[in-house]
Amino acid sequence: MDQNNSLPPYAQGLASPQGAMTPGIPIFSPMMPYGTGLTPQPIQNTNSLSILEEQQRQQQQQQQQQQQQQQQQQQQQQQQQQQQSTSQQATQGPSGQTPQLFHSQTLTTAPLPGTTPLYPSPMTPMTPITPATPASESSGIVPQLQNIVSTVNLGCKLDLKTIALRARNAEYNPKRFAAVIMRIREPRTTALIFSSGKMVCTGAKSEEQSRLAARKYARVVQKLGFPAKFLDFKIQNMVGSCDVKFPIRLEGLVLTHQQFSSYEPELFPGLIYRMIKPRIVLLIFVSGKVVLTGAKVRAEIYEAFENIYPILKGFRKTT
Amino acid sequence: MSGGGRCPDCGSAELVEDSHYSQNQLVCSDCGCVVTEGVLTTTFSDEGNLREVTYSRSTGENEQVSRSQQRGLRRVRDLCRVLQLPPTFEDTAVAYYQQAHQLAGIRTARLQKKEVLAGCCVLITCRQRNWPLTMGTICTLLYADLDVFSGTYMQIVKLLGLDVPSLCLVDLVKTYCSSFKLFEASPSVPAKYVEDKEKMLSRTLQLVELADETWLVTGRHPLPVITAATFLAWQSLRPSDRLTCSLARFCKLANVDLPYPASSRLQELLAVLLRMAEQLPWLQVLKLDKRSVVKHIGDLLQHRHMLVRKAFRDGTAEMDGQGQGQGLGDGDVGSSSLELPAGKRPASPALLLPPCMLKPPKRVCPIPPVSTVTGDEDISDSEIEQYLRTPQEIRDFQKAQAARQAAQSVPNPT
Repeated sequence: MDQNNSLPPYAQGLASPQGAMTPGIPIFSPMMPYGTGLTPQPIQNTNSLSILEEQQRQQQQQQQQQQQQQQQQQQQQQQQQQQQSTSQQATQGPSGQTPQLFHSQTLTTAPLPGTTPLYPSPMTPMTPITPATPASESSGIVPQLQNIVSTVNLGCKLDLKTIALRARNAEYNPKRFAAVIMRIREPRTTALIFSSGKMVCTGAKSEEQSRLAARKYARVVQKLGFPAKFLDFKIQNMVGSCDVKFPIRLEGLVLTHQQFSSYEPELFPGLIYRMIKPRIVLLIFVSGKVVLTGAKVRAEIYEAFENIYPILKGFRKTT
Repeated sequence: MSGGGRCPDCGSAELVEDSHYSQNQLVCSDCGCVVTEGVLTTTFSDEGNLREVTYSRSTGENEQVSRSQQRGLRRVRDLCRVLQLPPTFEDTAVAYYQQAHQLAGIRTARLQKKEVLAGCCVLITCRQRNWPLTMGTICTLLYADLDVFSGTYMQIVKLLGLDVPSLCLVDLVKTYCSSFKLFEASPSVPAKYVEDKEKMLSRTLQLVELADETWLVTGRHPLPVITAATFLAWQSLRPSDRLTCSLARFCKLANVDLPYPASSRLQELLAVLLRMAEQLPWLQVLKLDKRSVVKHIGDLLQHRHMLVRKAFRDGTAEMDGQGQGQGLGDGDVGSSSLELPAGKRPASPALLLPPCMLKPPKRVCPIPPVSTVTGDEDISDSEIEQYLRTPQEIRDFQKAQAARQAAQSVPNPT
């Protein structure tokens, strides 16, 4: 067990598309080691059934890990007989038992140091014996992005009356709101253009689409005769949604995670979950649909969902 | 008591620092002799160091209780008295209000918000002491909109970092049911409608518990469910006389407002009861419908745990084993495993899911195709041209605008 603590930190949780690992293996990797900081943990005291299951699973994994380490030792000895120097990075311990990192023939990944003894986390480290075994607790659900809000500075003062007069797709009602509302069809978005030259673009379904749409609006303003530039494009907010496909006992969730949750059925049918790391707000409904918002990058949405999924699963069997 | 000095007159050491109006003096407390005194006037150079301080930058705001805060505190106390809350609640609510008033965002808020804030503090106090007070009640007392109230409530809970427990359903049932005026005969309530309070309460509690178990309460406003449960409990205690009474009439008799969603909650609850009735052997033959099942609510509640287990499959487990988009038509599997003759076979178990999951989706949202947009593509001129008006269009638009202006400026051409 001890030899594996010398794993360098970058071996933990590598994102799968990076290609460092052999492709084709669905590796689940949290963006940060599960079990640190203020990430909401799966609560142990909700349901004795699920705790028992988790403990059993933990024991099985520990047994698997022990088996793997024995295999690993045997393989390492074989390899060292075959090849003296390898092109792989490996820290050579005096006993010759080196932890095999990437590019190894068999993928035996070591447990994340420090996680197993503390929490019976269902998001356990990957222990595939053969490459085809899928990762243990990946949710398999990917949140879909529904809306991206971005801002850009066109870099010049604008005359909103002229824009409203000369553009077909603009509306301007200064008594109601001090900006021109412009829409384009492809990508289907709406922009608020202010007289200071700042612009807000909403409605795109991906970051690239938002950028393309903002550029199109800038081009329209250019063609209307203003020296528009495209400065400081920044994505301000991303909204995603997904469905876990099972009903959720919201009153149970608010009891166990009360420092993060707010559930007021008299006001709103969903539970408002304010995750701290990453800083995302989730709206969780009884039908199992989840809306995630407040992200600046796509990875935060994915990370937040992977964090909340085991918590929601914990409330599945209570009826 | 100042250290050291002695009074020149009587020699005592009891010298006290005191100020005579604004003039500092060192006085002997035995004989009253003034030992030393400060300067009453200031010199020109001293005054140069004095600056005028605006009230908002002085500490006066914090030392005094402003008039609006006094009004707010009075309002909080009045609310507590109107609601007949125990005296300790009043102190807690007042403390919350004072705490809230320290926050800059609240102190500069509109008066309407401060009014609503008084109600929020009372509500938070009640929730923390498990006193079942609904937001609807507070809003009625404050003559405020629920939207305004909800905004202020969420804001104040977040700003003060308070932990507000959920509304306790059991207590709410007891309080709400007790407010129904059906426990004594009166000119408006005939004798056959009068009911015993304890019986009605216990049956309502059982019905609400059943609704909670079958996903009718989560995510919904609790009060309509309780209204529907109270109605069913009341009807079932004397069905022969009361089946003819509708929900609306019941609420009118009882002098209680009928919440709008209560009728649909009633239908949902009756559907659950019907499903349970299908599992009871002596009720299967009766072929019950939504009216006749009311007569048997007593029996159904007596065996409710077992009946719910039999009548419903676990919806969550079902969702797990479904695979990819298979329909929910696995009812045959459930019924065939029961090994009963076809005629007497109870209906196949329904899925135990919230009603929103049982209804078919209104429209199927197509998954958007994976877009290959990079964000840096070229933008063709023709695409942008489509969004610009032609000169002719601009002229037409300006003419139309001018005509509209002219029409508006002439008030009423007769």
